[in-house]
Amino acid sequence: MSSSAPSVFAHSPRRPGRLRTLAVFAIAAGSLAALLAENRTRAAAPRFYPDDPIQVDNDREFDASGAAPIEGSNVWDFVENTFFEKGDRSPIRALNVNTMDEVPDSSWFTNRIGRFDLSPAEVGRGPNTLDAVDIDGWPIVEGKSQGVTPGYRVVDPSGRRYQIKFDPPGNPEMGSGAEMIGAALYHAIGYNVVEGYIVEVDPDRIVIDPEATTVDLSGRKKRMTMEDVKLILRRAARGPNGKYRALASRYAEGKYLGYFKYYGTRADDPNDIFPHEHRRELRGNRVFAAWLNHDDSRALNSLDMLQGSEGRRFVRHYMFDFGSIMGSGSTMPQVPRGGNEYMLEWKPSLLTLVTLGFYVRPWITIDYPKVAKSIGRFESARFDPVRWKPEYPNPAFENMRADDAFWAARIVAKFSDEHIRAAVARAQYSEPGAAEYAAKTLSERRDKVLRAWLPGVNPIVSPALDEEGTFTFRNAVVDAGVAGKPTAYLVQWHHFDNTNGNGPGEAIGAEIRVSEPRAPAPVERLQGMDFAAVRVRTEHPEFPHWAAPVTIYFRRGADGWQAVGLERQDPRAVED
Amino acid sequence: MKPSTLRTFAIVVLACAHAASTAAAQTPQAPQTREEELRARREAKAQEVEKERQGRIERVLVSLENGRLFERLLNPPEGFYPLIGHVTPGSGLSLGAGYRQPRLFGERAVFQASAVGSPRKYFLIDARLLMPRLANEAAQAEFYALRSWWPEEAFFGLGPDSLRREHANFSLGNTVVGGSGAVRAGRLLMVGGRAEYLRPRSGQGRAKGIADVATLFPGEEIPGFGAPTDFGRFEAFADFNYREPLMNPRRGGRYYVSYALFDDLHLDRYGFRRLEVDLQQYVPFLNDRRVFAFHALLSASDAVAGQQVPFYLMRSLGGPDDLRGFRRHRFRDANLLLLQAEYRWEVFTAVDAALFVDAGQVAPRVSDFDLADLETDYGFGLRFGSVRGVFLRIEGAFGSRDGKHFILRFGHVF
Repeated sequence: MSSSAPSVFAHSPRRPGRLRTLAVFAIAAGSLAALLAENRTRAAAPRFYPDDPIQVDNDREFDASGAAPIEGSNVWDFVENTFFEKGDRSPIRALNVNTMDEVPDSSWFTNRIGRFDLSPAEVGRGPNTLDAVDIDGWPIVEGKSQGVTPGYRVVDPSGRRYQIKFDPPGNPEMGSGAEMIGAALYHAIGYNVVEGYIVEVDPDRIVIDPEATTVDLSGRKKRMTMEDVKLILRRAARGPNGKYRALASRYAEGKYLGYFKYYGTRADDPNDIFPHEHRRELRGNRVFAAWLNHDDSRALNSLDMLQGSEGRRFVRHYMFDFGSIMGSGSTMPQVPRGGNEYMLEWKPSLLTLVTLGFYVRPWITIDYPKVAKSIGRFESARFDPVRWKPEYPNPAFENMRADDAFWAARIVAKFSDEHIRAAVARAQYSEPGAAEYAAKTLSERRDKVLRAWLPGVNPIVSPALDEEGTFTFRNAVVDAGVAGKPTAYLVQWHHFDNTNGNGPGEAIGAEIRVSEPRAPAPVERLQGMDFAAVRVRTEHPEFPHWAAPVTIYFRRGADGWQAVGLERQDPRAVED
Repeated sequence: MKPSTLRTFAIVVLACAHAASTAAAQTPQAPQTREEELRARREAKAQEVEKERQGRIERVLVSLENGRLFERLLNPPEGFYPLIGHVTPGSGLSLGAGYRQPRLFGERAVFQASAVGSPRKYFLIDARLLMPRLANEAAQAEFYALRSWWPEEAFFGLGPDSLRREHANFSLGNTVVGGSGAVRAGRLLMVGGRAEYLRPRSGQGRAKGIADVATLFPGEEIPGFGAPTDFGRFEAFADFNYREPLMNPRRGGRYYVSYALFDDLHLDRYGFRRLEVDLQQYVPFLNDRRVFAFHALLSASDAVAGQQVPFYLMRSLGGPDDLRGFRRHRFRDANLLLLQAEYRWEVFTAVDAALFVDAGQVAPRVSDFDLADLETDYGFGLRFGSVRGVFLRIEGAFGSRDGKHFILRFGHVF
């Protein structure tokens, strides 16, 4: 019983068992086949594409016609950035850089002085397409209802709008001068900025369009009258000739879409795929803002415009309103806190409170030179770029890493004293010594910016490999005169397989130690290779963190070796 | 394994492999360039594009800022608006409405009117025509009429030795019609004059549980009580003001001098002259983040020969704006001296803290002031606002012979 029973009993259920086994095998085999198919697909994604490194990010490809204007709240912008941690704060590399760790041109940024040699005249011209404008007789069509600076809007004979903003009575030329300088420098850096012109308004030649409207203090729209204009001019600086100097900002083309935030993306813009807090040009803006004391560098001082042709609309992003940079606070000189502390910081505030004011915050003792009323409060002696702060936290600034700061500092390094003087000349300061002081202070602040942020990473730049097998590169810190030559560069060549997505492979030969930014490549070993990688470490007694390697990837092309990738190991977070 | 089984197995494997490869073939083509990769990501987002959304709080704030609700409530340029505050110190929280029309006479004049009342039945009706920018801003003028009713005004007796326990009250109604004008005699100096018709009426106090003034004090100690008369007031003044910022000063000063004649138009019993000197000085240090602020006020009233200064028109000391460690109107007499000093320090942008000391005295004659016997108090306060002005102050006053006082008040002290 026991011997036969199992055979019968066993026979019967064994068939389903065999089928099950068969099915399992079949599924496993099928899965394997699917995996192989997927792997084939994945293996087709190389680390470097043929078009790397891209110089242009075509973020105008998808029609953004559906984007709608966003109105911002000053109070909310302060609250959400002061009391909440907005955006992703992961310490990751900027997401919009190309494989060479550079920012490609886009609707956000156009490489200018960082990529090309601009003349001082080009920097001085800024974004302007006209030599000058004369607004006498241009009708006022609207009051300026936003912002603290008094002004209104006019149209030129072609119908193009200009916003007219006046200087505060106690500080003639201050706000308009700051605007002109800021626009020139931000434009040369690479940001989109609107055109601006210094104009003189003759009160006897002011014309008001019969349909002009303004919004009174109670928020009601009403017909604009000469009394409204007089109210505006009452808050404006009048020159000795009886005229009012002003800034005429030319409206950007396109449809107004409001502003961009320094975190997240615009949900209504299909081209906006990189979270703003991880865009390098927004992170690196902290460096530029510190240099120029642009403490009002907040979301509401940005501008989005819908541009392009029908069916191919895209959003262009502008930096806007430089009336509160350098020593200007728009309607008054910059407050001493500006650039030194957020509007609200608990620890120093409580310390100040409980010590009855005997605790003195460092910035309170800054002695701002009284050079000219048009300069306001601006200085370089106590300026500390790393400790510099805007009015309240900015998510992109908070995310700035050493490599972001290095990228920005390299651009700052391209501004010579002549470039700065040309930008300052745009301000047309009339007070003796004002222009000289502004230029000198900007140059001194530039030098501090370079000393603070250029050495933050191993500063290897401009790598090249020629056909003779000579590997050359440059040291951005040495080139900028910020530090002396390093003790040595340690160069290690590696195999690199572009198809597997991994980093450098097996080392080729031994590490080479050189004292100059030039090293031989193992030409024979590179024969037949399409890619090669090289790691460079730098020995410098002042900057031990330069030992963190920079890895450079070369691809062999028809014209020889081309650098297609550059990765910096982030040696340290930028100090707060 | 049987051949049939093997065949079945092979068929299944091939079928799965075919399905997998078909599926792989049907997946989107892997990008071959960086541009294609980015395009694919944007294409994916294009499928999900939606309207940019703002949170509810943000939307409300945008609406409030664009609609300028705060300006409408606090300082509207035109139309009707609510009023929240005090009719006069001691009236309690008052509510009312105001109206402003700024477009009279070619927008050269502003008419404004208001009516405010408090639960303690204080009220004030005020109408005035302002011409703040005459003669190319070299002059200004104002005409006004107001009616007030203050039913529970505190009175503790005249002189510096009045006692807190002798707390009485009286009512005071007043009608004032007048005008003032001033011309600019320099960038910072204004000189001008004022003429008013006053119809004050003092009477029985209405506060429950507090004695009426006439029951606690004999008639000679409350001159003018129950003696209805009208006054003509004629005043000249000079105002030199270089405070910065004007509404929350951190530097500069203000020096104000006025001389007024109060002419008893009917009884010839209560006419008097009044000289007032009001001095403020602000001494900043540490970039204006610390300020020593000083205030001195002398009010000297001198009765016309054979007449008296009516008690209800005498200046008083005590309350949240002068001697902060004492009750409102705690001291009253024909002459008044007030000295205040504050050390103010900025805690952060919107909050200042202050240590203060007040000293003052009233006296029947200027020669009776005894600087060694001033009433004093000291305290600590927080001020909320901006460079444009103090919105709210919270203070604790100590050290007076009347005990501790807590102060919650809109507006600056000086």
